[in-house]
Amino acid sequence: MLDWKKLVRKRLSTQDLPHGTRDDIVAELAIHLDETYEHALSKGLTRGAAIKIALQEVGDWRVLATEIDSARCKEGPMNHRTKSFWLPVLITLLGASVSLEATQFAGLQPQLVWVGNMGVTFYWPWLASLPIFGAAGAYLTRRAAGQTSMRLAACLSPALVMLVAMFLLLPWVLAGFHLFRLMLFGLGLINWVGIPAAALLLGALPFLRGSRLTVEMKQ
Amino acid sequence: MPKRIRSKIARGSADLAILSLLAEKPLYGFEIARQICERTGGALKFTLASLYPLLYEMEKRGWVEAHWQANAAGRDRRYYRLTQTGRRQLALSREEWRSFFHALDALAGVSHA
Repeated sequence: MLDWKKLVRKRLSTQDLPHGTRDDIVAELAIHLDETYEHALSKGLTRGAAIKIALQEVGDWRVLATEIDSARCKEGPMNHRTKSFWLPVLITLLGASVSLEATQFAGLQPQLVWVGNMGVTFYWPWLASLPIFGAAGAYLTRRAAGQTSMRLAACLSPALVMLVAMFLLLPWVLAGFHLFRLMLFGLGLINWVGIPAAALLLGALPFLRGSRLTVEMKQ
Repeated sequence: MPKRIRSKIARGSADLAILSLLAEKPLYGFEIARQICERTGGALKFTLASLYPLLYEMEKRGWVEAHWQANAAGRDRRYYRLTQTGRRQLALSREEWRSFFHALDALAGVSHA
């Protein structure tokens, strides 16, 4: 006999549902799949064709999980995208900004590094704090069943915002084609985008692979 | 055989279809889907993915109540029963759809088409 319950439990990545409720849903959907399968068999279909018909009832497991979540959760109107993307982005951005402010407020001096004849300032204490916020962004997105691309975007959001800000300066950089401005722009990209992105990514790495469900199953 | 109704129209009428069935007797998910398909001649079809989110939403709103019950073969199934709130909602839905059909009929003459 096919273990539909095991399949549903594995594939349905619902969030924030109490354990009893989740068990009920898994059992109920498994029964529906089993009855669809049995019904197809009774019509003379092969085992393989019957399984295919039963699975067609579901379509996309992720969509089903999202719809069940929004139907069952008694919380406010926060939708899946808000929970799995915008909220982690906001927290990561806020964390990184507050950390930078705190670093400056505490009087921690940036280190001046000379590249050729240009001095570049590195906020090491701030950069050291970034892996925490990168990890928070990726973790919150994964917890809300966000895809890997969403986890990546959430954890890198402070660097992405800086990248946009840097590109707003591009007309000034390109005007007149000053070598000094171009070098400053390049160093700015490394200093405020490249290195922070690497620090954020470092913290996010453990949360970029696997789903919340697989983590739970391992536990 | 009636033509299969497009998903947008079917989705709009889903609450009415499910509540109407449950007003007759408590049913479980698979049976709800089967009866809707059978009684509409296949014009309305619910899959697992389209049915259960609706049932859970109705349960959250207090229109239906669910309980596990074993059938004669000892197999557990989750039966849905209409509540008083659900009956009021059904009456409201019927009235809304009646008005809608009257309006559409006056405009497009659907009952004579």
